[in-house]
Amino acid sequence: MGHSHNPKANRWGLPDLGIGVGLRTVHFPHILANHPAVDWFEVLSENFMDSGGRPLHVLDQITERYPIALHGVSMSIGSTDPLDREYLRKLKALAARTRAHWVSDHLCWTGVMGRNTHDLLPMPYTDEALRHTVSRVRQVSEILERPLVLENPSSYVEFAASSMTEWEFLSRLAEEADCGLLLDVNNVYVSSFNHGFDARAYIAGIPADRVVQYHVAGHTNKGTHIVDTHSDHALAEVWDLYRLAWQRTGPTATLYEWDEDIPAFEVVHAEALKARTYREELMARAARGA
Amino acid sequence: MALEVPLGRLQRWLQEVVVHPGSTEEAVADRPARAVVPRRRVGEVILPSATLRPEERLAIYHDMYLLRMEEALESDYPALKRLLGDDGFRALVAGYVRAHPSRSYSLNFLGAHLPDYVRAAPGLRRRAFVHDLARLEQAVAEVFDAPEEAALRPEEIAAVPEAAWDRVRLRPIAAFRLLALRHPVNDYLQSVRDERHDHPALRRRDSWVAVHRRQYTVRRQELDRAAYRLLADIAGGKRLGDAVKAALRRRGRRPRETELFAWFRGWVGAGMFGSVVTGETGGPVLKDRRQRATRTG
Repeated sequence: MGHSHNPKANRWGLPDLGIGVGLRTVHFPHILANHPAVDWFEVLSENFMDSGGRPLHVLDQITERYPIALHGVSMSIGSTDPLDREYLRKLKALAARTRAHWVSDHLCWTGVMGRNTHDLLPMPYTDEALRHTVSRVRQVSEILERPLVLENPSSYVEFAASSMTEWEFLSRLAEEADCGLLLDVNNVYVSSFNHGFDARAYIAGIPADRVVQYHVAGHTNKGTHIVDTHSDHALAEVWDLYRLAWQRTGPTATLYEWDEDIPAFEVVHAEALKARTYREELMARAARGA
Repeated sequence: MALEVPLGRLQRWLQEVVVHPGSTEEAVADRPARAVVPRRRVGEVILPSATLRPEERLAIYHDMYLLRMEEALESDYPALKRLLGDDGFRALVAGYVRAHPSRSYSLNFLGAHLPDYVRAAPGLRRRAFVHDLARLEQAVAEVFDAPEEAALRPEEIAAVPEAAWDRVRLRPIAAFRLLALRHPVNDYLQSVRDERHDHPALRRRDSWVAVHRRQYTVRRQELDRAAYRLLADIAGGKRLGDAVKAALRRRGRRPRETELFAWFRGWVGAGMFGSVVTGETGGPVLKDRRQRATRTG
């Protein structure tokens, strides 16, 4: 399902994998026992790069049955530290082992001076940061021998030095470094709340033919700001952004993330399948030539 | 008006603020941070939002840092957290990540220095017990993630020529650790895993534990002193004949020869060994069989 020909497909022809779920350890027994009818899984790269035990054994079984995309949190593409070649070597090996359709990470940095905070720290949106990141994305894509896919992060601070919007930065980065985009519509919503920008303008400003994948997730509203907790169902407003983005990109692989207070697999999958409503509506409209 | 800070210095500044052990207000006023951005000019680097001052926005990252470190260490050291309590564990983590911040892309390695750290960590009660428990939990974590390799099968052992037995050495699998401990921490760990509240007393009592993985499950096997010494000799690379002779010569309880062989068969059966090598050359006796036996994945 969800694999029909898409005239608006991304420029690399990377497939619309349908509706997927983030692979989480707590769901391993359910997945292995029931082989749920989920279209694909997104795998957190770092969870498997250094494990030779059960997690990798389970992953091997899952890759036999389901398409996979790798998603990382430690590439630190925006850091001013040197690229971690050992990390990239292991990532490339894992991508080959899992036959990953693509490899994604975040537009962020995680540490400098050899340290890792394990947080997705924000970039200033300046020409200097853009030049720096473009150069590193090119290097990574060359090492991985595939276009890197980058996700827009949720952020909680804005830099006074920024000279462009986040979506302008991402668009220029994608064009100049020739990389793909993972558009997280929940992150757009979270950051629009935290920084007071127009989420619809963000969606409209993203180069549609570079969007390879969507993320949808829930968040936690603290009143003064929103934290991207991946701990709940997605708000209707987030799904509205997804629908809006779909009108620009056409059928594109979609993934639901749930990382805190993770419920039963069926609950996460049911939330992910809400995307089908929007997909079918838009595909029917496209078929009518609307 | 924005304060111009080159990207590298900006990142160093933000990191200093995020990992600072005090509050965000203290972090931006501390020397490493204010050397890049003077305290009174923070607002020229970080914009306020409609609801939060720049320092309050920075605090979102700052506050999440320690929580994330604690969560990562708790996954490897759940019994240690139970023993120390929430506040005690949080204090231990705060001190630990200041001394040993993550330098890897993976959080799997964050706790690697924790057993060493607790030997001198300030304000720690029951230090010797805590140290033993940390060593055991670290061994479990390492064995969980160690590379998978095929265990030596009993029939492969049986194929070793009788005349060669004295000279052979047995190599343990990668997912194997052997511990000599001064406290019964394996009992404590089991009580936590069983979600019992009647944890064993934290008294001094020597114990010995082999931690290994079989069929992707981590197992902990308690040993007595004599069995531990024999297994330590074998796993440490002694020739089998020498290890057995040493076991039979030791002071204290001397195991009978039949007991030694029962232990040995049990360890082989439990999959603790990966290969047999000759004593003289170190070359594999059973190379061809090993290759066939190697599992993929």
